[in-house]
Amino acid sequence: MKRRQILLGAGAATVLQGAWNEAMAQGKEVVIGALYPMSGPSAQVGIDARQAFETALEVINNVSPLDLPTAKNAGLARLGGAKVRVVYADHQADPQKGRAEAERLITQENVCAIVGCYHSSVSTTVSATCERYGVPFVCADSSSPTLSAQGLKFFFRTAAHDEMFSQAMFDFMDALKARGQKIGSVGLFYEDTIFGSDSAKVQRKLAAERGYRIACDIKYRNNSPSLTAEVQQIKNANPDVLMPSSYTTDTILLAKTMAELGYRPPNIVAQAAGFVEKPALDAVGDKLVGMISRASFSEDMGEKRPSAKAVNASFKARAGRDLNDQTSRQFSALMVLADAIDRAGTVEPGKIREALAATDIPGDKTIMPWARVKFDAHGQNTFASPVLIQWNKAKFVTVYPFEVATAKVVWPMNG
Amino acid sequence: MTAAALSQVLASGLLMGLIYGMIAVGLSLIFGLMDVVNFAHGEFMMLAMYATFGCFVFFHIDPVLALPLVAALMFIFGASVYAGVVRHALRVKVNAGMVQIFATFGLATLMQGAVQFFFTPDYRNIGDSSWLGGKTLELGGIFMPWPQLFGAAVSLIAFGGLFLLMKHTDFGRALEATREDKGAVALVGIDSNRVFALGWGLGAALVGVAGAVLSTFYYIHPQVGAAFGTIAYITVALGGFGSVFGAFAAGIVVGLVEALTAVVLPPAMKSMGIYVLYLAVIFLRPQGLFGRL
Repeated sequence: MKRRQILLGAGAATVLQGAWNEAMAQGKEVVIGALYPMSGPSAQVGIDARQAFETALEVINNVSPLDLPTAKNAGLARLGGAKVRVVYADHQADPQKGRAEAERLITQENVCAIVGCYHSSVSTTVSATCERYGVPFVCADSSSPTLSAQGLKFFFRTAAHDEMFSQAMFDFMDALKARGQKIGSVGLFYEDTIFGSDSAKVQRKLAAERGYRIACDIKYRNNSPSLTAEVQQIKNANPDVLMPSSYTTDTILLAKTMAELGYRPPNIVAQAAGFVEKPALDAVGDKLVGMISRASFSEDMGEKRPSAKAVNASFKARAGRDLNDQTSRQFSALMVLADAIDRAGTVEPGKIREALAATDIPGDKTIMPWARVKFDAHGQNTFASPVLIQWNKAKFVTVYPFEVATAKVVWPMNG
Repeated sequence: MTAAALSQVLASGLLMGLIYGMIAVGLSLIFGLMDVVNFAHGEFMMLAMYATFGCFVFFHIDPVLALPLVAALMFIFGASVYAGVVRHALRVKVNAGMVQIFATFGLATLMQGAVQFFFTPDYRNIGDSSWLGGKTLELGGIFMPWPQLFGAAVSLIAFGGLFLLMKHTDFGRALEATREDKGAVALVGIDSNRVFALGWGLGAALVGVAGAVLSTFYYIHPQVGAAFGTIAYITVALGGFGSVFGAFAAGIVVGLVEALTAVVLPPAMKSMGIYVLYLAVIFLRPQGLFGRL
């Protein structure tokens, strides 16, 4: 074959590929990109996310009896019953890989929106990339407040961010104090990427405002081989409430090291992430009995939100585990996005952005404890009311806000 | 910081350092033997952790008993890797260094992928039901977990054994001679290929011992080798390329420096102490603490 023929062939193939993608996007299929860690230390998070999205697709693409947006019809009604397909990409917890993959999803896979990304550090680069291409980014589960403070037009976050979560934690501690508990000091312990740093920044501010002494303020290197020196410092400071922000590896190591050094913190109020992941709870759950975490979801939600039980059952059949804080948010993000695309009636990203901005879904049409889904000018759902859940060795129970609690809080956890 | 707290940090640093030393020794042995850096060293350790975990879960063999078995399996694995991969990489004459790097690097990626495929990326954990699990020795306010004490003791014994093997056996002398001059040993009838294979087996068995003891108190995951592998490379460089004793001693130094740095500086910068020390050493002694030029 001559060089010219090869060039011609390659050119034709590219054009055909483009036309095919175009046809698919215009016709019977809506393609959404999902960016998650599929390999590396957080790979399980990505694999679980995939199951959460597949669970959502089952509701979206089939006729479902659940009272959720887009559930009634097979596919998206206003796009002639078009089916939604999710293309997955692996960012390996690396912000640069995330950026490159987002670019690939937009330019090669022609996705009309992206969902992601678990790690706040990755969501930062991906949201900037989406902004540049004018493609909506629906942040499912990254909780750094700075993400919605960037002033991006194409950024939408369905769940609460750490400022809202931390506020709930301090409201909770204030409420306990009002009930006569003595809480004088808090200990901050956080990993050194944007998730941990941002979380600690908010907690530091709130502690100062509400009169809690900061007994220790420890920023540690994530994925460290050892946390002995760090735990020694927490032990010396012995705060009334330890407030950790850690991913799975560090959660396991922290709990093990505390036990090894004979340290039982009086209370733990954690910023979810590793503390609600099944692998961590399987490994060290017995060492964390009584630990409280912020959450968007807990198993007992089924009593408040009728669809939650059925969705959880469907997810469990796929993933072999219950929905948790992360997977419930991933499921919900895709549902909200599908609803917006349906209302937009097109896969044109600009129109989808407008539909997202106009979103208004009442809380009982979600599986979350949220009051509703409605975005402010920064794309933040300000109605994503957080809850606090307590680990009682077998499962989590909701303990705060007291109005929605299904169990009485055990305080102190290590009495 | 009180004296008790400082002693705790030093004790923990020392226990961890002995295990770091054990991991580095295997790497140093292979490097000294044939100038090949095994970029899959951390993954060898990861494999040994899964082997220990497998023995515990499927055959109910306690990690303490599984240790010699895992070491033996890793010996066979290491020798097979030499025969199957490294031997061929060494034959390449063009860009020889690059070929060796990519051969072992590719092996590392393959091992991570294969383990993730078969065992899923879930975090595994031997838990407190093993003999050593969850038990801690308290000595005058200093807490020393039994798994780590055991690990440190095993590291010392294994290193002692390696030292005797290298100084007092024919195989050890052949190993040392091959390290010195591969060409010359061929003249006295030593099959360098065989020595290399045994050297890889020995290196893998040593890191296998480290992996087995680590699995009694650390989580097990396809990526777990990365953090420890990096430390092993620094440790070998710090101790001096080609010096097995240097690697072991440097491991202890790294463990102590890391623990102390985490107390003096913010813990997020605890690796800084190791890198500063490493830079200082290569400025003053480019051959490393115990290396030969």
